Amino acid sequence: MSQFLQPTILLLREGTDTSQGRAQIVSNINAVQAVADVVKSTLGPRGMDKMIQTGPKVTISNDGATILNLLEVVHPAARVLVDIAKSQDDEVGDGTTSTTLLAAELLKEAKPFIEEGIHPQIVIQGYRKALELALEKLEGFSINISRDSPEDKRNTLLKCAQTALNSKLLANTKQFFSELVVSAVEKLDPNILDRDLIGIKNVTGGSVTDSFLVDGVAFKKTFSYAGFEQQPKRFENPKICLLNLELELKSEKENAEIRIEKPEEYQQIVDAEWALIYEKLETIVKAGAQIVLSKLPIGDLATQYFADRNIFCAGRVPQEDLLRVQKATGGQVQTTVNGLNPETFGTCGLFEEVQVGAERYNLFKNCPQSRTATIVLRGGAEQFIQEAERSLNDAIMIVRRCFKANKIVAGGGAIELELSRYLRHYARSVTGKTQYIVNSYAKALEVIPRTIAENAGLNSIEIMNKLRQRHAQGGDEGRWYGVDINGQSGVCDTHSSFVWEPSLVKRNALCSATEAACAILSIDETVKNPKSDQDTKMKPKGQPGRPPMGMRR
Amino acid sequence: MSLAFDDYGRPYIILREQGSKKRMKGLEAYKSNILAAKAIANTLSSSLGPKGMDKMLVSPDGDVSVTNDGATIVEKMEIQHPTAKLLVELSQSQDAEIGDGTTGVVVLAGKLLEQALTLLDKGIHPLKISDGFDRACDVAIKHLETISEEIDIQANEHEALIQAACTALGSKVVSKRKRELGKIAVTAVLDVADLNRKDVNLDLIKIQTKTGGSVEDTRLISGILIDKDMSHPQMVKEVNDAKICLLTCPFEPPKPKTKHNINISSAEDYKKLYQQEQQYFVDMVKLVKDSGANIALCQWGFDDEANHLLLQNNLPAVRWVSGTDVELIAMATGARIIPRFQEITPEKLGKAGSVKEVQFGTSNERMLVIENCQCTKAVTILIRGGSQMIVDEAKRSIHDAICVIRNLIKDNRIVYGGGSAELACAIQVLQYADEVSSVEQYAIRSFADALEGIPSCLADNCGLNPITSVAQAKARQLQENNHRIGIDCMELGTTDMKEQRIYETLSSKKQQIQLATQVVKMILKIDDVIAPDDY
Repeated sequence: MSQFLQPTILLLREGTDTSQGRAQIVSNINAVQAVADVVKSTLGPRGMDKMIQTGPKVTISNDGATILNLLEVVHPAARVLVDIAKSQDDEVGDGTTSTTLLAAELLKEAKPFIEEGIHPQIVIQGYRKALELALEKLEGFSINISRDSPEDKRNTLLKCAQTALNSKLLANTKQFFSELVVSAVEKLDPNILDRDLIGIKNVTGGSVTDSFLVDGVAFKKTFSYAGFEQQPKRFENPKICLLNLELELKSEKENAEIRIEKPEEYQQIVDAEWALIYEKLETIVKAGAQIVLSKLPIGDLATQYFADRNIFCAGRVPQEDLLRVQKATGGQVQTTVNGLNPETFGTCGLFEEVQVGAERYNLFKNCPQSRTATIVLRGGAEQFIQEAERSLNDAIMIVRRCFKANKIVAGGGAIELELSRYLRHYARSVTGKTQYIVNSYAKALEVIPRTIAENAGLNSIEIMNKLRQRHAQGGDEGRWYGVDINGQSGVCDTHSSFVWEPSLVKRNALCSATEAACAILSIDETVKNPKSDQDTKMKPKGQPGRPPMGMRR
Repeated sequence: MSLAFDDYGRPYIILREQGSKKRMKGLEAYKSNILAAKAIANTLSSSLGPKGMDKMLVSPDGDVSVTNDGATIVEKMEIQHPTAKLLVELSQSQDAEIGDGTTGVVVLAGKLLEQALTLLDKGIHPLKISDGFDRACDVAIKHLETISEEIDIQANEHEALIQAACTALGSKVVSKRKRELGKIAVTAVLDVADLNRKDVNLDLIKIQTKTGGSVEDTRLISGILIDKDMSHPQMVKEVNDAKICLLTCPFEPPKPKTKHNINISSAEDYKKLYQQEQQYFVDMVKLVKDSGANIALCQWGFDDEANHLLLQNNLPAVRWVSGTDVELIAMATGARIIPRFQEITPEKLGKAGSVKEVQFGTSNERMLVIENCQCTKAVTILIRGGSQMIVDEAKRSIHDAICVIRNLIKDNRIVYGGGSAELACAIQVLQYADEVSSVEQYAIRSFADALEGIPSCLADNCGLNPITSVAQAKARQLQENNHRIGIDCMELGTTDMKEQRIYETLSSKKQQIQLATQVVKMILKIDDVIAPDDY
């Protein structure tokens, strides 16, 4: 309020909001806490879902990145959290909630230091040091999984997929879906593991366990013209012609104009147009294609022409599906039929059109060089399937990661506790302020097991004490003790109960959480330009410095 | 949503339009979600069973529909609440997958949520409840499979199928005529069914409605009915041994697709052009006639000139036949669709026993019936009834019956209706509950209670005392070890559903229980609702 008394020097545009100094850091930290609070309850196998309504659309999700994205966070510092969750999602696909929580917890631990007047840069330095040590240790703790025999390898992948699915809606059918996911990823080219080549198709209706995997491509029946029903709907080892070509009777060139001088010429023009389309169709038939797929429409004329010749066709096939068909069948998409070469045709073991729920699907199965797979998801409600899709996506990403990196750590908070124990131990050996800060880092790491326990309705203080005691005993025995949500004691060796995660997920989570915390700590001034007029309305009324009554909950 | 405050008490905004967002957390969120979903279930519960009531729904445009079909009711209610919407989708997905039991699934979900609410009040963690429900669901499904019976769909002129169709029709407005309608539905499905592959393509059964007459006049046409008449009133109204020419090109001079214009510089040219146009019509009719066709169906329109010529040449024709109809006719008559006059050949014609134009009552409306087709792979059910509302409801009812029969052809296992299957499962689940030592026991027991809610709701709708009749039925099931005892809704004097011949498909029952559990689990997992404030 002091600004009312002294003459102000206008440096910035009127309405510009600037805040700076220590208060600014503290206020940023508070904002981050508020955001992290929202996702906190989704962590772990007993994590809950959030229902978020944006306009007419309703999303029910357990995925940290999805929730944060839908919240529409505008606070500049809090946006950093959204960004790290997103980067974790893009990079590893799973562990978005734990990253967010960890970053928020690190900041919370830093808050007392800032308030006491320790320079933020010192805190940052301490955190960076702690991160370095933690990563080093993480590397050391990771278990190399044996992948000598294919069964062992598959087993590991299944375990990791199950851990990722644990906290999701599909938890009860995780065995079923982990099989599905691992089989799907195994289909991919092991060198590239292109995520885009696993298609997920949603069909409402049926129970979740009616979902199935197609070792090839599946897509919904496209819009069809009269005559389509007369086409054969089943082929064995067909020749598949992929086109990016419109097969319709239409003007060859837009905006072209013909001038017809004599009535006789009229028929010639008409015939010429028909000849053009017939020529195209004939080339395709002559080349021996049995299935014709095109990205562009296939008109009624062509549909009937093909029906007469026992050829199946589908126009307006979505781009991504056509690409997958291309990969699976080994065909090549043609943009013209001139000089159509049968070598560009793909093939598959079996093509079939089947009814799935209320929809009809085209399935291309047993593809020879199948480097792609499609999961057809079934379920009761639209939102259910959408959430199931997100969960499967996480699982797929995790399995992909496991395929590449062969190191795992135990989940359920075990690895965080072990790192925390190590850092505490280390802190005792250093002098100076770093000791405090490394200690805080260690404490912040405990947020993961604590939240898992809290969400499961367990007594978190008791559980944490038990876990700390186990880990303090040291050695290999106590190392993998984590939160057990099923048992009586609340703790168990999560490694032997197969709660496995790729160490890469943890590594990335630690890095990005620390980075985010440091970034927020190093901001000491925010200059916010006013939005064009309407922003003033949003400012809460009431006296400055005192919250209006009834607003606080 | 509440605002956040920094250490100096200044509020700051974290989320976009934070002030106008509402957030509900924890128990408050569960309760509001459950209450909303329960409200939907309560609306539907009075429609369950043979004595269930209908709902009248008025759309924003003032269209009135009266229905008993769960999926239709919830769809037309235009529900806003996000959780309640989940139940709408639940009903619709049952409709898409099974086609029947859309009311039952919502009522069951409502009962489950009601039980969950009491468990929440006891302080049980929602996920424990959903775990318990999940385990109970598995038990119930397994038990359903053990009590299911295989039926012989062929025996006794498909008597079993007719009975199942009657059960589905029993709760509808047309229940008085359920036997006749059931027969029609069974014949229709068997006509198009592929019994070897156990597959039925429902697209091949066309359901056409026409107000007028009464429900008894509903009939099955082993062929196709199209809502069109001959293009010229003087054309013959009936063609026997029809050879059908199916055209997807108009009876008009062909037009190039490329933009064109014709320059006429002399009167001679003009005449030539006129003659040429005339010639086109003559040629077209000749081509059709020469192929041996005695009726032409066209997807597009005719020029008046062509229409006149067709009449002169004694060639009946129909114009503007819709694309789907063209396809159905092609399938039924074995015709090939012809895109161009030059391609008409005798082999491409379809054959049908008769094509005739029929008139209904005193109204001037006519329809075209194509019967005794060469390969009857498509049939039509013509539904008649006193008013548009009745016809529409009859259509939905027959659709349900057709779905039931299709499901039986796919999987011929049945369970008995009248709430007997639910009761049997409830008993089984209850037994299982006692074996569970953890908190889930309560949830499993509640699941059994929820299952009992279905027969009690049935009894309630029939004017019976729900508590006594359910208690009696349950006691008898246990005493006689007979899982077929249900609620005697029709007051036939027996509660043995096998004697009453109330059949329901196993797949539908299984799906109901699974889907309802799934959605309830989903609702129980939501602990936080963030939404705009203004709803």
